Amino acid sequence: MSEPILQVANLHVDFQTYGGVVQAVRGVSFDVCAGQTLAIVGESGCGKSVTVQSLMGLIPMPPGRIHQGSAHLRGHDILASKIIDGQDIRGSQISMIFQDPMTSLNPTMNIGSQIAETLEVHKGYSKSDAFARAIELLDMSKIPEAAKRAKQYPFEFSGGMLQRAMIAMAIACEPAILVADEPTTALDVTIQAQILDLLGDLQQETGMAIILITHDLGVVARMADEVMVMYAGEVVERGGVDDIFYRSGHPYTQGLRLAMPTNNQDTEANQTLVAIDGSPPDLFNPPRGCAYHPRCPYAMQVCAEQAPPTRTLGADHQAQCWLHHEMAGALPDGLVSASKVGQ
Amino acid sequence: MLKYFAKRIVLGLVTIWFIASATFFGMHAVPGDPLAGDKAMTAQIRANLEAKYGLDQPLGTQYLIYLGNIAQGDFGISFTQENRRVNDIIREHFPISATLGILAIVFAGLGGVLWGALTALYRNRWPDVVIMFLVILGISVPSFVVAAISQWSLVGLNLATGTAVLPIGGWGTVWHMLVPALVLGLSTMAYLTRLMRSSMLEVVSTDYIRTAKAKGLPATQIFSRHQLRNAILPVVTVLGPAIAGITTGGFVVEIVFAIPGLGRYFVQAIQQLDYTVIMGTTVFYGAFLVFMVILVDLVYGFIDPRVRVEK
Amino acid sequence: MSTSHLTPADFQPLQGSVSGQQISRPSLSYWADAWRRLQDNPRAMASMGLIAFLLAFVSVGPYLWQVDPSVQDLDQIGIGPGADRSVTLAPPFQPWLPEQQSTILADNAMGLTLTMPATTQAVRLMWARADGERYRLYRNLFDPSDTGSFGLPLAELDRSYFEDRLDLQAGTYFYSLVMLDANGAETATAITQTVNVTRVISVAEAIERGLIKTEAEAQLGQELKLAWHPLGTDYLGRDMLARLMYGGQVSLFIGIFAPLAFVLLGVIYGSVAGFLGGATDQAMMRFADFVVALPFLLFMILFKVIFGIGPGESGIWPMLVAMIILLWPAPARLVRGQILQIREEGYVSASRLLGGTTSYVVGRHMLPNTLGVILVTMTFQVPSAIFTEAFLSFIGMGVAPPTPSWGAMCNEGIKSMLTRPHELMFPALLISITVLAFNLLGDGLRDALDARMRGTE
Repeated sequence: MSEPILQVANLHVDFQTYGGVVQAVRGVSFDVCAGQTLAIVGESGCGKSVTVQSLMGLIPMPPGRIHQGSAHLRGHDILASKIIDGQDIRGSQISMIFQDPMTSLNPTMNIGSQIAETLEVHKGYSKSDAFARAIELLDMSKIPEAAKRAKQYPFEFSGGMLQRAMIAMAIACEPAILVADEPTTALDVTIQAQILDLLGDLQQETGMAIILITHDLGVVARMADEVMVMYAGEVVERGGVDDIFYRSGHPYTQGLRLAMPTNNQDTEANQTLVAIDGSPPDLFNPPRGCAYHPRCPYAMQVCAEQAPPTRTLGADHQAQCWLHHEMAGALPDGLVSASKVGQ
Repeated sequence: MLKYFAKRIVLGLVTIWFIASATFFGMHAVPGDPLAGDKAMTAQIRANLEAKYGLDQPLGTQYLIYLGNIAQGDFGISFTQENRRVNDIIREHFPISATLGILAIVFAGLGGVLWGALTALYRNRWPDVVIMFLVILGISVPSFVVAAISQWSLVGLNLATGTAVLPIGGWGTVWHMLVPALVLGLSTMAYLTRLMRSSMLEVVSTDYIRTAKAKGLPATQIFSRHQLRNAILPVVTVLGPAIAGITTGGFVVEIVFAIPGLGRYFVQAIQQLDYTVIMGTTVFYGAFLVFMVILVDLVYGFIDPRVRVEK
Repeated sequence: MSTSHLTPADFQPLQGSVSGQQISRPSLSYWADAWRRLQDNPRAMASMGLIAFLLAFVSVGPYLWQVDPSVQDLDQIGIGPGADRSVTLAPPFQPWLPEQQSTILADNAMGLTLTMPATTQAVRLMWARADGERYRLYRNLFDPSDTGSFGLPLAELDRSYFEDRLDLQAGTYFYSLVMLDANGAETATAITQTVNVTRVISVAEAIERGLIKTEAEAQLGQELKLAWHPLGTDYLGRDMLARLMYGGQVSLFIGIFAPLAFVLLGVIYGSVAGFLGGATDQAMMRFADFVVALPFLLFMILFKVIFGIGPGESGIWPMLVAMIILLWPAPARLVRGQILQIREEGYVSASRLLGGTTSYVVGRHMLPNTLGVILVTMTFQVPSAIFTEAFLSFIGMGVAPPTPSWGAMCNEGIKSMLTRPHELMFPALLISITVLAFNLLGDGLRDALDARMRGTE
């Protein structure tokens, strides 16, 4: 694996609210390498969006606060300032696309100008050059009649077209990292596939890294190289996409997987979808021990007392779970232990 | 777009017809013959009025004559002043009121946008608190009190300095217009400031502002190109009612500052019960306001692409 | 973290670990929750207190301060709050015969002299006059050397004396005598005399006012106290406090009942249109559109002209009726929109599917969900109704004198604003406080009743 471009270590983010302090992200670490796709998976409110938005400086502060941790982009600290060598890295080094393209574009500015704006700011293009380049980018994002479309306004676009325009805007300055925050959640299923294909193609062409935030394991299976599963602001399991899907070592990952429908007739015929009971913990006051223990079907006494240690289950595959401790009994069905990895 | 405004103008004309009819039948509901009163009416005026309004004709005919006159832009003749046509009165006095009103709406609009943006930027810090306190005051104090207090302050200022820093009333130079226009625009400014503030705060938390931040745009550019323009839209939509408010507010300010505008003349006509002038001026004001609302819509169409393209 | 002390017991399964759905907070009804949020808003609570105080001021006030608001205190016209109430008992007014009086004139340019102590009965001036000379005499409340104006011209004279009995009040006056030339134009020869006027009252008047009982106990030169006016009197000598209380009754009556009436009318009209729908709805709403297009204040004036005010009428009811006729369409549109919107909501369909009758759906879902909006609208209409009353009274189209209202009092007070600011300031202050209180209450109600507003501001 190549040298990581982005290194995030032990990130803690919290929010001061009337009700108390919400500990949204509690010690998250990860690396991102060029040309790779890192998927961050978890249910709503698990802190996956907050993690990347805090890196992008998009969290309103106050009430938000990064109170611990570090993030380095090619060795530069980006938590203190988004400015490196006099230039804002956002839009040029790291860019981002969002969940709802309908509301994520300025309704009173035409699409072309919104793309051109990035180029004017980061690359010093003139207005007309930037606009011409914007049309090329729209074309690259497979928007038909790009020259005409560039002069139109967001309300004249469909959701899928808008997400393409967002992607065109995001890749305008050829960033090293593209953060896609649930890029397909608000779109029709048929459009979702097109958008994912587009992202994949662009990654091939430019060699950028993608951080993909999603709760859709189908999207993960299609796009990701590395997967990081988050629960209640913590990483519970990380590994290659095959590790997560076929050799998962954490009951939560297993739960997510069993809740996902597949069309793989051979292995999982007559599959019943299993919901994870209960609801995510209150982050005002996270439970002691493992955050997942109130919902975990295999919870043990120790899970309610102490936070589980990180266990390495294979190359680049770790999970935080007491079930992998020497003193725990046999692993439940479907979970893979460190010793079984080689089989 | 063009079709939409053609429709708006036709609807506006119908509205003016409604206003004119309501005025006509309202005035004819006045018990007794208003012309038969003990008013100081000369035979000359009486003859003019009878010829003009067909007073010897049945009500239906009178109504048609009246509508015909209005359609030709003729608002009638005065009841108490010999041979004075309402059109002449409007021509003479309305430009003064209009100048004052335009100045006031400019003050109110610029001030409202400026203060509203400022309070939103400094949300919950002292500039916000101070301005919003003044805004609440501006909304709560009646305009004639503001007018009286400012005139009183002007007197005090002129006394203290021993010279006439600013005239305390009358009309003529820019200096005569300054304070009355400010007073006239004040409550509208306060209202627009409140609106602009909440609009700014709404825009600040929208997704497209987050996108603009994620693009790494400088804060000033986010403010000017993305935030301000979108936040102004709701302010523009209320300019129509604001113009109506300023027009009637002008009555008070013109009285207090002794400005010879149409508003002051109108109030005089009311107090003298000069029925024809009241009718004519009411219809004129009504028509004026209807077209102002259409004009504001037109302006809005140019600012908001959604309206421009769709309609 | 040390894990060395872990025992196998720690790895026993946790009993009943999977927690079901749990409700984390007690559930509050919509209105209870709104009331709680309103109570958390100090500005709204303060404004409710203010409104309660104002209502008490105009309703209970007149029982505590039993002064007739239309009685004129001619001894104390236009006095400010806390003014000196002392008065000296003096003999009745005697006509002045200056020709029979020998007076030593003062040693100034024109010999302008005050011939006897100045009282509120009369100020008597004499001066040296040569044959054929004409003068103009002025009176001012302010020093002419400061203001540059001699003030009110009292008379043009070709004699050497003048008696001023015009509306004299206790205080300092500046009398200026200017010599006129042959053409009647003023010359530079002028002199100003400062005169301190003391308030006096004759024995007969004192008995009439109830200050003393009998003539026997009267003693000339005795100091008496006139009636007390805590907030002063107006330009006709009427008690300000009493007038503010009675004027407030009128202003608050219009301010509260007009919105109540036209919002109610609008709610009925709008909900009927919303329920019926179709062509009826279209026709009803098109009519409302036209009424909305009528310029409001102009038509208020027009209605006032049409209704007229007969002798002895206060003009309150015509104003109320005119407001109702002109203002119902706005709440009607609002309610219709709400009804149309709520009719499409999932919970209404759900209620219907579960067998809810129309009256149940209306009573349980539609009304409670529109009530908040109606309440907020009504609260915000109170300030505008009070402003409307004040505006109309200010241009002389409001309540008819002598009925007091805060707006009418402002209209009267503005004329003497420079000399007696309290006549304008007190009613203006009360209007402002009332409007402020209702605006803040409206803000608070809107925030409290809007479920989407939870957690913001």
